[in-house]
Amino acid sequence: MLARTPLGALVRAVAGIRASVHTKLMAAFMIVTILFVAMGAFSVRTVLLTGEQSRQLDLAHQRVAWSQQIEQALARQMHFSVLALLSQDEAAIAKILRENNRFNEALAKLDAAGLPEQHQLVEQVRSSQDAAMAVVADMANAIRDRTLGQVTRDLLVQQERIDGEITARVANLVETEQRRMTRLRDSIATANRNSLVTTAAFAVAAVVLAWLCGFVISWSFVTPVREAQGFLARVAAGDFTGRIDVRNGDEFGALAEQMNFMSRELQRLDTIQRDAAAELVSLNTRLEQASNAKSEFLANMSHELRTPLNAILGFTEMVVDGLYGEVPAELKEPLQDIHVNGKHLLRLINDVLDLAKIEAGRMELALRDYSVPDLVGSVHGSLRSLAAEKGLAFETEVQDDLPAARGDDGRLTQCLMNLAGNAIKFTREGGVRIGVTLDEGELIFRVSDTGIGIGPNELQHIFAEFRQVDATVTREYGGTGLGLSISKKFIEMHGGRIWAESKAGEGSTFFFRVPLRVGEPSPWTSKPSSP
Amino acid sequence: MDQQTILTIEDNEYNRKIVRKLLGSSYRLVEAVDGEAGVALAVAELPDLILMDVQLPKMSGLEATRILRADARTKHIPIVIITSFALSGDRERAADSGAAAYLAKPYSPGELLALVRKFLPE
Repeated sequence: MLARTPLGALVRAVAGIRASVHTKLMAAFMIVTILFVAMGAFSVRTVLLTGEQSRQLDLAHQRVAWSQQIEQALARQMHFSVLALLSQDEAAIAKILRENNRFNEALAKLDAAGLPEQHQLVEQVRSSQDAAMAVVADMANAIRDRTLGQVTRDLLVQQERIDGEITARVANLVETEQRRMTRLRDSIATANRNSLVTTAAFAVAAVVLAWLCGFVISWSFVTPVREAQGFLARVAAGDFTGRIDVRNGDEFGALAEQMNFMSRELQRLDTIQRDAAAELVSLNTRLEQASNAKSEFLANMSHELRTPLNAILGFTEMVVDGLYGEVPAELKEPLQDIHVNGKHLLRLINDVLDLAKIEAGRMELALRDYSVPDLVGSVHGSLRSLAAEKGLAFETEVQDDLPAARGDDGRLTQCLMNLAGNAIKFTREGGVRIGVTLDEGELIFRVSDTGIGIGPNELQHIFAEFRQVDATVTREYGGTGLGLSISKKFIEMHGGRIWAESKAGEGSTFFFRVPLRVGEPSPWTSKPSSP
Repeated sequence: MDQQTILTIEDNEYNRKIVRKLLGSSYRLVEAVDGEAGVALAVAELPDLILMDVQLPKMSGLEATRILRADARTKHIPIVIITSFALSGDRERAADSGAAAYLAKPYSPGELLALVRKFLPE
């Protein structure tokens, strides 16, 4: 709105001046200050002028007053002259002389204070007065010589003439003074009026100029600040394409230039970062596809491997079970060996498939309610004959009155079977014990043996993939080396943890704890669980 | 008494052979090697039990099971799904398909015999 007005052009012009903000502000203040100083000087001059004219007026008044004194003295002088002539008394002459003194005194003052052009008039009055005093001297002589009777009339006539002369001249003086006074009064009135108008004009000009300076200067600052505000808001919102258009020649202009530089840099970095992110995304997609393809391949391959294996195991079992007729005694052992090795191969394939599924994030738990004693019972049932063959004691101890548990019982059975199977495998004498207790809403499964034990160095690695205590163990005891790491992952999927305590040669105890009811809020979840 | 009929839908020849050896003496067996043929044979024969493999050519075992469940003529026939659970979600899909039971591959001949006897006591 402001931009298209002349004021806007002025604002732009001021903004464009190549000077600092400080200099611009100082200049604006200086302009206003100079105007106020000029106004003050004019007022002082007016006051001085008016004072001089007043003094002149006072002097004129004074002169008029003295002229009146002269007139008074003259009137008395005339009065006493008549009195002296009538009474023929010399005492009256003395009174005339006294009035003459007064007259001269006033005339001297008038002459001293008078203007140069009045001097001549005063001299004329003085000479007339001298003539009048000569007449008075004649009067005095005539009274003393008793010759008054003859000259009274002449003297009186002379005196009256001179008196008239003086009166006329003094009146002339007074009149010129009064004219002068009128002129002075007019002049003072005019000066006062002019002064009032000029002062008012100065005041208005000062106010307008101050306002204009303030307006223009402040807008020349506010405009770029507002521009910057909008610009920075866009930058903050992530739009780095905008540029700020500020043509100030001051710090604001420099600031705007730096903001534009910042914006360009941000845009450049943003582009680089976006490209890198896009590259990462595409790389990630390719990796994901590759990983999925790998998992898919493994799953399909496992299926393909298991189908013929299934047939091998099936036929072997049927042969052993006598479905094809009586088996010769010498073939029974090799047939058993085929069956055992086939089963081992199947377990390997299953373990590899499980691990592949877990690593591809495609392993899912099938949660359902299960009975802990039943789970432990099935593991015990499966391994009982194996333990008995080795002459080992194999016991279970499950806490009484356990409530119904919830979890993937198939996977938990697999874990417990793995731990108990390992325990029997690595124990030559003594026994294996499975125990289950409930602690703060979590089931603790414990499998302890009196076997070969595990040293502290091996203990920290046993849950890693393809680890057994050493390579000879695999040959002697069998196993895939995947059981513990798969168990660990199943337990962690249940929100639990697995660990072992052992000393080489003194047997081992494996523990795992899982929530009693997986996937349901537990009253114990807010409390930190202890191992 | 007439022998009860079992339909085996299985693409692997050796698995069919095992089933024949295991059950052939006690039951009448009919066989199909893909899903479509299996559905057609089920409608034609109306067997007493169907053993259905999941990974089949032309039509998967799960799809065939759904079709037979939806058909008024075959919906009463119990179906045993045989799966290797190779892919995640197989277990859920098997449970959702409406099968009467499922058997995990690899199964032993003894397990299969026990399951069949549960549905068709001799």
